[in-house]
Amino acid sequence: MNFTPAVLLAVSLCGYAIGAGGGLLFLRRERLANLFCFGASALSALSGLAAAMLFLVGGAGATAPQFELFPAPLPYLHFSVWLDPLSAFFLLLVSLLGVAIAIYSLGYARGYFGRKNVGVLGALFNALALATTLVVTADNVWLFLVAWEIMALAAYCLVSFEHEKAEARQAGVLYFIMAHIDAVCVILGFLMLFQAAGDYGFASLHDIGAKMPPGRRDAAFLLFLVGFGIKAGVVPLHIWLPAAHPVAPSNVSAFMSGVLIKTGIYGFARVAFDFLGAPPLWWGVTVLTVGTISAVLGVLYALMEHDLKRLLAYHSIENIGIILMGLGAALIFLHTGNPLLATLALVAGLYHTINHAVFKGLLFLGAGAVLHATHTRNMEEMGGLIRRMPQTALFFLIGAVAISALPPLNGFVSEWLTYQALLQGFGTTNSLMRLIFPLSGAMLALTSALAAACFVKAFGITFLAQPRSEHAAQAHEAAPTMLLGMGLLAGACVALGLFSVQFVRLLDPLTQQLTGQQLSAQLSAAHGLVLTSLTERSGTVSTLGLSLTGLCLVPIPFALAWVFARRTKVRVGPTWDCGQRSLTPRMEYTATGFSKPIRMVFKALFRPHREVQREYDFSPYFAKTLRFDSHVEEVFEQQIYRPARVMILRAARRVRALQAGSIHVYLLYIFGTLVLLLLLFAI
Amino acid sequence: MNPPATEVASRLITLLATLMLVFQLLLVVQQMLIANIRLFALQSLLLTGIATVVACAYGAWHVLIVAVLTLLGKVIFLPWLLQRLVRRIKIEQEIHPFVNMPASMLICGALTVLSYVVARPFTSLARLGSNTLPVALALLLTGLFLMSNRRKAITQVLALLTTENGMMLAAIALTTYGMPLVVEIGIFFDVVVAVMVLGILVFRIRESFDSMDVSKLNELKW
Amino acid sequence: MNVDLSAAVAQTALLLLLAPLLSGLIKNWKAKLQNRRGARIWQPYFDLVKYLRKDMVISEHASWIFSVTPGVIFLTALSAGLMVPLVTANAPLGLFGGAIAVVGVLALGRFFMALGGLDPATTFGGMGSSREMTIAALAEPAMMLAIFTVATMAGSTNLGQIVLAGQEPGWKFLDAPHALAFAAMFIVLLAETGRIPVDNPATHLELTMIHEAMVLEYSGRNLAFAEWGAAIKQLVLMALLTNLFFPLGLAPVVTPAALGAGLAFFAAKLLILAGAVVLVEFTNAKLRLFRVPDLLSAAFILATLALVSTFLFR
Repeated sequence: MNFTPAVLLAVSLCGYAIGAGGGLLFLRRERLANLFCFGASALSALSGLAAAMLFLVGGAGATAPQFELFPAPLPYLHFSVWLDPLSAFFLLLVSLLGVAIAIYSLGYARGYFGRKNVGVLGALFNALALATTLVVTADNVWLFLVAWEIMALAAYCLVSFEHEKAEARQAGVLYFIMAHIDAVCVILGFLMLFQAAGDYGFASLHDIGAKMPPGRRDAAFLLFLVGFGIKAGVVPLHIWLPAAHPVAPSNVSAFMSGVLIKTGIYGFARVAFDFLGAPPLWWGVTVLTVGTISAVLGVLYALMEHDLKRLLAYHSIENIGIILMGLGAALIFLHTGNPLLATLALVAGLYHTINHAVFKGLLFLGAGAVLHATHTRNMEEMGGLIRRMPQTALFFLIGAVAISALPPLNGFVSEWLTYQALLQGFGTTNSLMRLIFPLSGAMLALTSALAAACFVKAFGITFLAQPRSEHAAQAHEAAPTMLLGMGLLAGACVALGLFSVQFVRLLDPLTQQLTGQQLSAQLSAAHGLVLTSLTERSGTVSTLGLSLTGLCLVPIPFALAWVFARRTKVRVGPTWDCGQRSLTPRMEYTATGFSKPIRMVFKALFRPHREVQREYDFSPYFAKTLRFDSHVEEVFEQQIYRPARVMILRAARRVRALQAGSIHVYLLYIFGTLVLLLLLFAI
Repeated sequence: MNPPATEVASRLITLLATLMLVFQLLLVVQQMLIANIRLFALQSLLLTGIATVVACAYGAWHVLIVAVLTLLGKVIFLPWLLQRLVRRIKIEQEIHPFVNMPASMLICGALTVLSYVVARPFTSLARLGSNTLPVALALLLTGLFLMSNRRKAITQVLALLTTENGMMLAAIALTTYGMPLVVEIGIFFDVVVAVMVLGILVFRIRESFDSMDVSKLNELKW
Repeated sequence: MNVDLSAAVAQTALLLLLAPLLSGLIKNWKAKLQNRRGARIWQPYFDLVKYLRKDMVISEHASWIFSVTPGVIFLTALSAGLMVPLVTANAPLGLFGGAIAVVGVLALGRFFMALGGLDPATTFGGMGSSREMTIAALAEPAMMLAIFTVATMAGSTNLGQIVLAGQEPGWKFLDAPHALAFAAMFIVLLAETGRIPVDNPATHLELTMIHEAMVLEYSGRNLAFAEWGAAIKQLVLMALLTNLFFPLGLAPVVTPAALGAGLAFFAAKLLILAGAVVLVEFTNAKLRLFRVPDLLSAAFILATLALVSTFLFR
């Protein structure tokens, strides 16, 4: 058989389906179900990865494979998929994460043996992976929407997988509601496109915006922005994200944060760059602004968390913001007629998309390993895990450095590209409008510095110093398959960081499709060692070169130590404790304490509440017990969602008057409506 | 490498004017009273520098008189007077403005941008350094903002003085290399007298109200 | 643009040797202003050698992060220094990264320093890390905007290009945007190098220290590398300020005469900047921690105005 991308994609889709079926078949045999389901998804993802790579390496000239899964059962409803460059890029992302997460799950799901049904977990996971793959490869609106809904349902079931916990049930319902608001917006948007095109195929929707009246086109854009924005978790539509991601099983959290929210980015990129045609200025400005706000608020709220998984979930909001900054800048440049710059911004956004998928997946898997070992998500009860879980700690550190946008890892490269795009955007217009570029750039700098602060806290409090609880002291290293899963993603972080020039080459077909430009030639200098921003004069960076420099300098401290410190001894002793008898873990800095300066600086936003209760024994100088309670306010939940909920409930109560409870009255309603409609029709 | 002399002068004026703006913004952010007074003195020193450059580069020697007067009055005499006043009435060193620092910084930044935008059509008229008019306007606006943002009379005096610095800057650098000398000297003595009157007033307020908070003056209504 | 090995070696040596001298000089001048005799200006060299010769005590709670950190601080500061033009207009490794990379590499060092502070389970370290990361986060936007200003005026983020653009006839670097951006960068410099209105480098009082709190547990050669790294970082940032904003005298070609002149100019500019830093330290009191954001917001606004003035004054 000939392994073409089409065949590999078909194999991958079938594999997921078989994996899902197998899970349901082996409901009672958990070991077998575990092996079968996650083995199947790992192999399917590998096949999908191969398909995407084969297609993207083929370059801009490769023909897009397109085939029907099975014959159309109804007119319009074609179950057909394709691989155009944009689809292939997102297939690459889905599959890369899929492989690592599936391997990790082989070990992680053992934690559920005897407690939960692993067959169901495996089946749902495969269904989610299948639906996600279909979302990014569907070649028509119907299949896209069907897959979109399956994806939402599977994710809902997985979020409330541990449904014995009230927290999981509530998060599931919240996710369900938001997913449906998002589906409504997306369906309406596509209906508007259909009205202009008269066809549901993605190929015939290309540049359809040119045929639409401007007002309608803007309305469609807004609908898509809200719809896909909910899925991606953009502020202020993000509230489901920090609720749903932490309560799901950790492998699912990794998949949701790494992949699922990226389908929102996929949908947005597809619609904004492929379908809606030449953008007006305000589209790009809106997207850039929304992205900037999301980035800053996401990281600020992340800093306030001491629940490790919620912290990571808020960071997803931040990174989606950074991605949207790239895409928004690209839209602005398309408007101002700078296709090359637009391509640079687009490359920055998409590069960050895959980077975020990789490092956030890695971090969630690491958090899962920690959760598995300590049975808590509360960072205040962790500490000292680096001794107990050295490999997990190393992988988590790699993820932390990458997400903090520090060289030489991948987060730095995509943020560098974003900076360059914003910087060069400053010269494109003459209006005061262009201040938006440097100001977003400054906010990006604030974001990445705060992210570094947040990950010093996340890594330092979780893995360093003394264990703060019995659980943490008894922790154990993760299973080998879990380590392998994390190791794969850590390797991807390093590779995407060091070999950025080579990776940018893979994006050529994609940018050719969306903006008509290919950049890899402009973006590389010095034999592919150095990444440039369009020209060598305007800025260069080489993560590979920087790493090599660092390596070459390593002998200096060693030589100095050899010359001067040859005869010195190293002694292990207690930490300086100001003359106390011993240093207890309770004296360590806590996660809450660590972020206190930032809480104080931004107190206008957080409105921190604190409450201290003291109980005294016999003298006001000796407190018997001291209770300290502190929390911050989620502005959007308080100011937008709570009033909205109250209003909806009030309206519902009013409507309830219609519901008399008698069948006759209901029949009367139906009858009345029918007569009314007929009357309307007659007139 | 060496540009012609007039161009150097123009550059220098621009640079000094910009530094005046920098000191103005530092004045907004500085919370200690004495440091505020010193910053004002430094700002006035820059103004003296501008006047000197104008005088030398264009041979407008009457401007030199303004420079000397500024040096004597605003760099040496008034700061000395104010510092002595601060020491004598032993008030609290820290200034408590109505609007907090980052927010007032943002407001001042916005005011400066506004003055840039407003002054833009006129910049071609300003032959001496292209940014003296916006800077002068910015000094004026932020000075007025400072006056309304601060509680104590003595800090308002300082704000008034920076406003006056802005006007002097406009006068020296924009018009015919200085207004008629009489007008300038008039303005100058006006300000000095105003400050001295205010200083005495501050002293009196302090004596009768045990505070320098101007918002307490509404007790006078009865 | 290419990578010049001999220049890289020379610049590494310059960074290593000049950095302790600069901090010694600042300490000495400060002492003189305070009517003390002060330590000799080459005291930091003796200190470093002394630290290197001492035995190390490592905390029993610390992990490998603690031991790796001084090396990371030292190496990141050196690598960043190789990307900054010191004497020649083109930095030896300017090809590997410009302003953004320098900021990024220094941030990597800071990241590890903060982790190293948390590692030995001491409260001081945690306090220092927490404060350091907060202040860095607030300083970063102002720094990025100031860099944006000079970069847009030169059309490049590569430091060599910025220097060359500044050296063009006409002394463009003496205009409003540069002056405002310089003021912003100067405030950022004070914050990043732990100078007085922000941090007090001469104290070990837990309520006031930031940098010292993080390196409190280090001893022996670990301490030597951490301190040396901090000194190099200070030199790098000061070189960034002097050479980006006053690119006078940087050698455009590599001839002995040009190099000598470049070195002389660089030394003179560093002395002036160090004098300014000392003067600020001498005349100001340390700010309360929660007043530091006020100062940094001023830097941010100054940098924004610098950007605005690049296109509103034409």
